[in-house]
Amino acid sequence: MRFLVFIILCVVFIACDAGLAPPSPVELGFGGTVYFAPGSWPADSLISLWIFASQVYPLDSSKVYAGLFGNPVTIFLYPSITSSLPFYVDSLEYSFPLRPGIYKYIGVIQQKDSDLQGLGIRVFKVVGFYQDPADPSLPGFVEANDSVQVKGININVDFNNPPPQPF
Amino acid sequence: MKKIIFNIALLLVFHVSIAQTNRGSVGGIVTDVKSQEPLAGVNVLLRGTVRGTTTDAQGMYLLKGIPAGTYDLSFSLIGYTARTINKLSIQPDSAINLDVSLAQAPIQTEQVVVTAGRREQSLRDVPVSVSTVTSKMIADRLSVTLDDAIRYVPGVNMMADQVNIRGSSGYSRSVGSRVLVLIDGLPFLTGDTGEINWETFPMFQIDRIEIVKGAGSALYGSSALGGVINVITKDISQSPEIRFKLFSGIYDKPVYNKWDWSSSPRFNSGGYLSYSNRTGSFGYLLSVSRTVDESYRENDVYHRWGLYSKLSYDFSQFQDLTLTFNFQWRNHGNYFWWKSLDEPTRPADSQLNGNVDSHRGYASLAYKNVLSDVFFYSLKAIYCSNFWQDDSSGRVNNTSSSHLTQLEAQATYTTSSSNVLTFGAAGNYDRVISDIFGSHPGIGAAVFAQDEFTPFQSLKLTAGVRYDWQRIWKEIFTSPASVSPSQLNPKIGLVYTFDPITTFRASYGQGFRYPSISELFTSVSTGVSQISIVPNDTLKPERSTSFEIGVSRWLADNFFLDLAIFQSSYYDLIEAGVNPNRFEIIFSNVTRARIRGLEAGLKTNWLNRMISADFSYTYIDPVDLSNNSVLRFRSRNLFYASITGNYRQLRAEVNFRYVSRVEAIDENLVRLAPIVDGDQRVECKVVDAGISYNLLGIGLPFSVGLTVKNLTNYYYVELIGNLAPLRTYYLSIEGSL
Repeated sequence: MRFLVFIILCVVFIACDAGLAPPSPVELGFGGTVYFAPGSWPADSLISLWIFASQVYPLDSSKVYAGLFGNPVTIFLYPSITSSLPFYVDSLEYSFPLRPGIYKYIGVIQQKDSDLQGLGIRVFKVVGFYQDPADPSLPGFVEANDSVQVKGININVDFNNPPPQPF
Repeated sequence: MKKIIFNIALLLVFHVSIAQTNRGSVGGIVTDVKSQEPLAGVNVLLRGTVRGTTTDAQGMYLLKGIPAGTYDLSFSLIGYTARTINKLSIQPDSAINLDVSLAQAPIQTEQVVVTAGRREQSLRDVPVSVSTVTSKMIADRLSVTLDDAIRYVPGVNMMADQVNIRGSSGYSRSVGSRVLVLIDGLPFLTGDTGEINWETFPMFQIDRIEIVKGAGSALYGSSALGGVINVITKDISQSPEIRFKLFSGIYDKPVYNKWDWSSSPRFNSGGYLSYSNRTGSFGYLLSVSRTVDESYRENDVYHRWGLYSKLSYDFSQFQDLTLTFNFQWRNHGNYFWWKSLDEPTRPADSQLNGNVDSHRGYASLAYKNVLSDVFFYSLKAIYCSNFWQDDSSGRVNNTSSSHLTQLEAQATYTTSSSNVLTFGAAGNYDRVISDIFGSHPGIGAAVFAQDEFTPFQSLKLTAGVRYDWQRIWKEIFTSPASVSPSQLNPKIGLVYTFDPITTFRASYGQGFRYPSISELFTSVSTGVSQISIVPNDTLKPERSTSFEIGVSRWLADNFFLDLAIFQSSYYDLIEAGVNPNRFEIIFSNVTRARIRGLEAGLKTNWLNRMISADFSYTYIDPVDLSNNSVLRFRSRNLFYASITGNYRQLRAEVNFRYVSRVEAIDENLVRLAPIVDGDQRVECKVVDAGISYNLLGIGLPFSVGLTVKNLTNYYYVELIGNLAPLRTYYLSIEGSL
């Protein structure tokens, strides 16, 4: 009988928290502003536009595929894979919630064509990236944590002068 | 060859002729020795023969046509000590009246099961782990659907609508079940997606559910990768019987205001009514059910109507025919996953207006002929129909229908007192018409055999094998067929009774699953970033092997322990993956996995059986050998506890289940769907409780009950993006006239 009482007490102890709860309102990851060069927006060839954050750098085609669709995922898109940043704006403030970790390559990517199956990765073009403050020719890295959002991750985009493509 | 056929024919004629003369019968009422109440569902078996029956709701049984001789007659029921009447003498043309009383047992082990060996066997004689859920447990726990009824079975856990037996299934996006579900021994999966329709089973007519763990394709064919669930329906009552059940539940409000989406209370209610009778050789049962679940989530409402009937005709005491018909109409909201963890009781915006209409059911025919005390055969056929269509804002999007017909012939031949041979053949024809999966016919065939040999009383050996063949055509029979390799699956088993309180068992079996038509031929745009799901008709069958060693032992009069260690290996598991070069999703054979584990079960009771308790713990180590990682959608630890108290007409029950947090999920599913906060999950720690009072003591033939599910209002997900039910209070009334 004492065994039974012990089990009941264990069950009560184990079952006394509430489980899932609404997520914390604090936005983590990082944030900043995307600045678009005046007059550089293309008239067409704009299907989607995202901010991306990659834990892997340098990238090639296979790493992009693995990062987006592999397990674990190492390349994340903002706002989401199904929705785009707004077009034809001068600048855009953003807040990119991300799990803690080091993000080595952050930028803005444009989808130029809807023929994904025919053109493959060639439908995408990196149009700007977060620069290393010490050497602007290189990507800067961001370490996201679980206590405070990293701010000031600004990105300049010039559709007419895109940076070197990673793939 | 002609000589052999002639000899077999002579044998059958001889047995039939013997069967016509020198017969007697035995019948009576089985009661509880203490309360003197009749006991329903008692297995009555004439040992050494294939003759047996079960008692009806009034506790009555009748065995007719018994050849004159001396027999041992056994009576067994879960929760009662089995009893055997030895040396019962049957005289020609005599009718023996034999009333029997059974005493409640501390723990029962003499339970009879039919699934492990395709014939009636004592649970102690089967070499694999088998669990049973009785109709009483279904009623006491107020289980409305089949998946709800098996949530406390050791080693079993549900992931939304997919069942895992010892981690076998994971989550395969509602296509292709890795556990085979049978209705009265016949496969009952949908023809298009190969999944289980949990709601279609006639819950009010279930006698018991048997769950066999480990690969079982050597007896049952495709889909028995991780185990077999056999739903056995009630027999038709020997006398007029009306049964009814009404329940009504109300969902509690969530503690977080932002989760409370509805201003009005949400109810979950239903009713069942059935009538059965037997007139001479003809028996019939009619049943109707109606359930409405308004749900705790928006656009998740369920409306269901169910019709069920069973007709039987006894041509003689040796031949009977049973026709069963089951149909369910269902309409429900198209809730797939939550909007976010901020609003988990609301669906994603795209699912707000959708709903699904479905008509599902089956018709089956079973003929049994006992040719002699050592030989009988059965012929069975089942037609399963499945139609559904979904729409959003009144516009039909997709429709699919499947028509699956299966035939089976089986014979059991007791060649000697130490050897039983079971063999048979099966065939199926499948036809799918769908705007997602296309239109595809398919056919299959199989032969199987099993031999059970008892070299000496304490040792039982089993060996069996089954050969399966299947073809599915892309469009019509003249087009090239999707060639699935034929499958040959063996099984072997051993049971060693060390002493009267200790039994060892060991078994090895193989399983396989043919890819479903939906995995082979789905062609649809996901609407996500131009990504499409494309067909892959080169899929191979999934395969598995299972090995188990177990021991069961009475530790004391009120302690029964069962231990098992097991290992299952899985090959060519089918997963939906992204083909990045073409930006498409395709089903492929990608995963090689291994699951090792152990399972312990303990049954106890105290205070002269006023309090009884069942505990089980299952640990699994699920490894994805393809990339040396944890296999997705598996929980390592399952712990279930059930404590029941009985005092006179009062009964109280508390059930607790703990399922550890799923370690790995499909992150692509979360991203591509997309499911906001889809990675948010916790362990499951749920308490269900109920109390009921039987009013029979004051002359009213029914009981009333109060059940609270999820008593602590714990918030968790079984499947990513799906908040499990909140605390719900139910009132119920159930009885029979």
